Amino acid sequence: MKKNVLVIGAGIAGMETSLMLAKAGRKVYLVEKSPIIGGNIIKCEDVFPNLECATCMVSPIQQEVLKNENIDLLMLSRVTAVRGEAGDFTVTVEKKARYVDLVDCIGCGECFEPCPVVLKNEFEQGLMDRKAIYLPCAGSLPNVPAIDTDNCLRFKGEDCQACKEACVFEAINFDEEDETREVKVSAIVVATGFTIFPVAEGGKYGYGSYADTYTSWEFERLFASNGPTGGEIRKKNGEPPKSVAVIHCVGREEKGYCSTICCMSSLKFVHYLKKKIENISVTEFYKDMCSPGKRYDKFYREIESTGVDFKRFDTIEVTSDNGSAAVKYRQNGKEATVSADMVILSLGLEPQRDSKELAEVLGVPCDTNGFFKEENDEYAVVDSTKKGIFVVGCAQAPKDVQTSIAQAQSAAGKILSLL
Amino acid sequence: MKGKIGVFICECGPNIAEKVDVDKIVDEAAALPGVAFVAKHKLLCSEDGKKFLKEQIEEHGLTRLVIAACSPKAHESTFMKVCEEAKCNSHLFQMANIREHCAWIVENKEAATEKAIRYVKAAWRRVGYHEPLAKKEIAVNPDVLVIGGGITGIEASLLLAHADRKVYLIEKSDALGGKVNEFEKIFKNMENTADMLAGKISDVEKNSAIEVFTNSSIEEVVGFLGNFTVTVNKKGERTEIRTGTIVVATGYDSFDPLKAPKYGYGKVDNIYTGREFEVLNKSGKIVGKDGKTPQSVAIINCVGREEMGYCSGVCCLSSIKFARYIKEKLPETEVVNFYREMTLPDKGYQKFFEDTQEKGVNFIRVKSVTVDNSDKGPMITWQNDNGDEHRNVDMVILSAAMTAVNDAETIADMLKISRDETGFFLEEHQKLAPVSTATEGVFIAGCAQGPKNIKESLVQAGAVAGRILSLLIPGKKLEPEVRTSYISEAYCIGCRMCLEVCNYGAICFDALKHVSVVNEIICRGCGNCVGSCPSGAVQTKQFKDIQIHQEVVEVLR
Amino acid sequence: MKGGILNPDNGFEAAVKNFLKDVMEKADIDALLLPFKNAVGDSFEWRLVTADKLAEASVVPPVIAVNGARALSSITRSGKSAMKIAALMRPCEARAAIELSKLNQCDLEPVVLISMDCPGAMPLQDYIADPEKVEKEFEHAAREWNNELIRPICRMCDIFTCTESTWCDADIHVALPETENNAVAFISNTDKGREVLEKVGIGREEELGDWQKKMNARIEERKAARKKAREELKQHVTGLNSLSDTFGSCINCQVCRSVCPVCYCRQCLFNSVKVHYAPDDYLLQAESKGTMKFTPDTLLFQTGRMTHMSVSCVGCGACEDCCPMDIKVAQIFSIAADETQKLFDYIPGKRDAPPPLRVYNEQELKEYET
Repeated sequence: MKKNVLVIGAGIAGMETSLMLAKAGRKVYLVEKSPIIGGNIIKCEDVFPNLECATCMVSPIQQEVLKNENIDLLMLSRVTAVRGEAGDFTVTVEKKARYVDLVDCIGCGECFEPCPVVLKNEFEQGLMDRKAIYLPCAGSLPNVPAIDTDNCLRFKGEDCQACKEACVFEAINFDEEDETREVKVSAIVVATGFTIFPVAEGGKYGYGSYADTYTSWEFERLFASNGPTGGEIRKKNGEPPKSVAVIHCVGREEKGYCSTICCMSSLKFVHYLKKKIENISVTEFYKDMCSPGKRYDKFYREIESTGVDFKRFDTIEVTSDNGSAAVKYRQNGKEATVSADMVILSLGLEPQRDSKELAEVLGVPCDTNGFFKEENDEYAVVDSTKKGIFVVGCAQAPKDVQTSIAQAQSAAGKILSLL
Repeated sequence: MKGKIGVFICECGPNIAEKVDVDKIVDEAAALPGVAFVAKHKLLCSEDGKKFLKEQIEEHGLTRLVIAACSPKAHESTFMKVCEEAKCNSHLFQMANIREHCAWIVENKEAATEKAIRYVKAAWRRVGYHEPLAKKEIAVNPDVLVIGGGITGIEASLLLAHADRKVYLIEKSDALGGKVNEFEKIFKNMENTADMLAGKISDVEKNSAIEVFTNSSIEEVVGFLGNFTVTVNKKGERTEIRTGTIVVATGYDSFDPLKAPKYGYGKVDNIYTGREFEVLNKSGKIVGKDGKTPQSVAIINCVGREEMGYCSGVCCLSSIKFARYIKEKLPETEVVNFYREMTLPDKGYQKFFEDTQEKGVNFIRVKSVTVDNSDKGPMITWQNDNGDEHRNVDMVILSAAMTAVNDAETIADMLKISRDETGFFLEEHQKLAPVSTATEGVFIAGCAQGPKNIKESLVQAGAVAGRILSLLIPGKKLEPEVRTSYISEAYCIGCRMCLEVCNYGAICFDALKHVSVVNEIICRGCGNCVGSCPSGAVQTKQFKDIQIHQEVVEVLR
Repeated sequence: MKGGILNPDNGFEAAVKNFLKDVMEKADIDALLLPFKNAVGDSFEWRLVTADKLAEASVVPPVIAVNGARALSSITRSGKSAMKIAALMRPCEARAAIELSKLNQCDLEPVVLISMDCPGAMPLQDYIADPEKVEKEFEHAAREWNNELIRPICRMCDIFTCTESTWCDADIHVALPETENNAVAFISNTDKGREVLEKVGIGREEELGDWQKKMNARIEERKAARKKAREELKQHVTGLNSLSDTFGSCINCQVCRSVCPVCYCRQCLFNSVKVHYAPDDYLLQAESKGTMKFTPDTLLFQTGRMTHMSVSCVGCGACEDCCPMDIKVAQIFSIAADETQKLFDYIPGKRDAPPPLRVYNEQELKEYET
């Protein structure tokens, strides 16, 4: 019986589980579909409520994961088959080739410039471009690019070697091959995280119709010092906004649940805005202020004291009106409109788009919201319905970093104890 | 200069090589007294580079090392490992950051080179004052002592016992179960808790690895991680327990509504706190003081929220549960829930709320609410956007905030852990370390750490098990930090400033010698004590005044 | 303000001595720590005595030779004492003793600390040169409240008494209500002080309104003098050049540090190997600046010492009394101490206030953050 563990997803929860298990002497296969580790949290510049730098907070964890001898990190990888049972699973992992050597490459970035293919950078929410050989963001870990074979000219049949020629270290190898690995593990931890509610373009929230309407992730990238504007908050015309409307609960009605952290993120946006733009006026449109726990009310009061207009709404609509946005809202039967020149939509969280696919592979069901289903959603929250398979972090339900970490540690605890 | 110093300059590919004249650095380094060998390398952290490093150390018998390369954060541990393998003490080594601090930020090549040379010289100067620190190992006791026999303590005990750890479970009342004993059902599935709880308690009792002490309290705690001695008092009988780690799972108490007279508690009849209502509900008969069934019940949320300064996160849901209890047992009774913000985090609770609305429970948002007496029973007055409104009800339930336990201060003092301004025990890091404290070996879980529901408490119990199982492994020794602080007995005059500013409780006072002493095992080398000592009697190994001074002097020369 | 009044027959000094005798007999005290004129007659020293030696003691000596806090600390700093001591000293000395107790250099548990209204003190060097003359001047200064004769540091001292605004945390404070009968009043500030007064049989309920009024007026005078002194002294220390000039004659003897009651370090950092640099370092520094003064680092010592002890400085003037170069050390340090103590809202000598370095405040000194 092998005591190894497979962790799917190298975000904050996946990394924490892996490190704890590795510390206890277990061998961990950490499977990550993207070419870098860090998950969603590294999209943020600061985290609530202490407003510390997200990358500074996470970077030691990432470094440790990269260095740890007990962690076999498999990036650009997916789990495609699972057989067996608790204590004795056999997992098939399909690992795509990176085409750039992890040891030889030193991350100088010389290979980007010569690449002729220009694409929208998904990590940067499309606000920035990337090439076919790319790193999702500046400061990615590991700091080694990957080749996007769906768009790379060479892999589409053309004879392009631009990146290889630019590499002094001979780190680029087009002959690298995809791998299929079969690993034997005693437990599996699903830590695939979340994605954001896909707000429709041209809908009632003005996304796509009013030029300066941003999703929460787009706004995070605008403020990020390693983002498309180097941290300067600018409208599409290059000017800083004078008044901003932050709208909570976008997607809540449609999904049927509260995403727990968006109220706090929205308050964090006030801090972002006030830090960069003097005399900015911010209006927060919300339904219920969700601030549970011993710290969040205090954070709410602190942000409130910096001067914010809070407006409760039952229904809300954003339209374009003469170059600015008109936020029309109804509350308690009364209607009013507020004008703003930037709108930020705080989007709800939902499971990753490929969760269902992964669930089928694992042989575990998803709940009605698409999150991985727990054995008992009040008493056994990190256990899936299949013994030996655990679910942690936002893959289970929306939550903040502290609770994700607690769940990650809890799954590790259960594995160390029971498996 | 002591020993034979080796200086290695890493080119880091084009990163350093292109921005800095590496050859010039090599020349300057070679001219420094005590330097026996200088070399540049394309990439020292690569397998090839590390091999080169080891070979040169061994070939030239180098005893001290300067590596000019990237940030120590990136590769200090890499090179320290090479030193160990090359049998050169890994602390007789200093890195000069000529990448992040020079090549990457100084545009002009000459200026960058000049700066890099200064950095290399500073490191050379400093390394001459380094001391060969030895690794430390301490034997540890893998047992666990859990304070609190509620759901969190029980869960943690079971997981740890299953991993073959001996667990001492200390409970102050006469039975296990804690607050969950009080509930008939839990939200949101409205499942009976009794079976779940009884099952877990039975598991504890059957488990020979868990020794349960009921009617017991903790009297004294001495020691440190891996080596605690805890005195437990059971009805006058004292037992000394040796343990390696301690888990604080002491749960919560509730806000006393007498402190918020506007809610009429104690003055108006038929007002119950949530927990009192649970008792009433469990008895099977929901009746007022007069024995009559209420025709209308008001449930008021956020009682104590303002006074305590935080939202307990569970009362909105508890209120909905109470509404459900009433609707189940007294379908004709009207239920009104007065709330400020309907807090429904997590994926299932919004539906729980919406379903309850459909069952006919009336939810009214208010800005504030008071309860007074009237001849028709309790009268509720509330303010919202519509102005003031009031009505009578037959019974009022106050959903009160969760607070830290009443003896939290005593517990904190005994265990040398902190509490934050809310009174709950303080976790080591707000986001990344929810169940550990700044005191190594002492963990907190469940409501002891902060208000939360049962599900989250169970998760934290598991997290504590994970932390402990990965920290103290039977047979494996702990390697504590070697770069710790130490106090010179000759210079220390026992003012104890350092003791006061140490966050880890690592300094104690020797009354006989009238000096303060650092416990090297607990010390994390943070240096707070060094800053607090006016005479410089405290120093931190590897960061002594003279070492830092020499480095600075050389950089500024 | 309330206290217990004793109407003595033979003047206040006799009253106080009688009180101390009673304290020894009735309040379970084993010894008294009091100032005595030394054998030669040109200075004063602290002696631990029993009541039979009281006659020769000096209740309000004209000078402060050894600071009372230092004397007390040298008895009680190492370990616990079974013996109980009553010590009588000036308010500044009492404050220094309390500061030292917070720094674990003086155990006040077995001590009944008694302070008294202080008329000021005379310059120590003047006294040694001509004790008789200075004694006469002191008597005059004390009787007439003549500020011109006392030390400059005393002229700007506003903590010389124990009214409600300028309290003193000694267990008991001896006040001179100066009624026609030269009465002496005893004010208790702590439970211990209250107990002692009860055992000795002195009440505590008499109103001291007149005395308080007179003292408050004097406090205002001194506060004004302090303000004026600050304006004057500020010019001498603003900017590196002025500071350098003002301390230009300093010979780095560090006597100011050794006599200071709140400088408690076994070895001063500024006297240790940590500030002894290699010869070439000095030569290089001299070369780069063109010249260099030796012994080096005088200003470093002065400003460094100030950084270390300023929050505890009680303005006792021991430093200036002993400075062989007549630098206005006490005046400068005392005014600087006002500033540092204000920053942390800290008053040295207050029993329950922990030293600022030990107190963590999340929001502090925000105005200095960049």
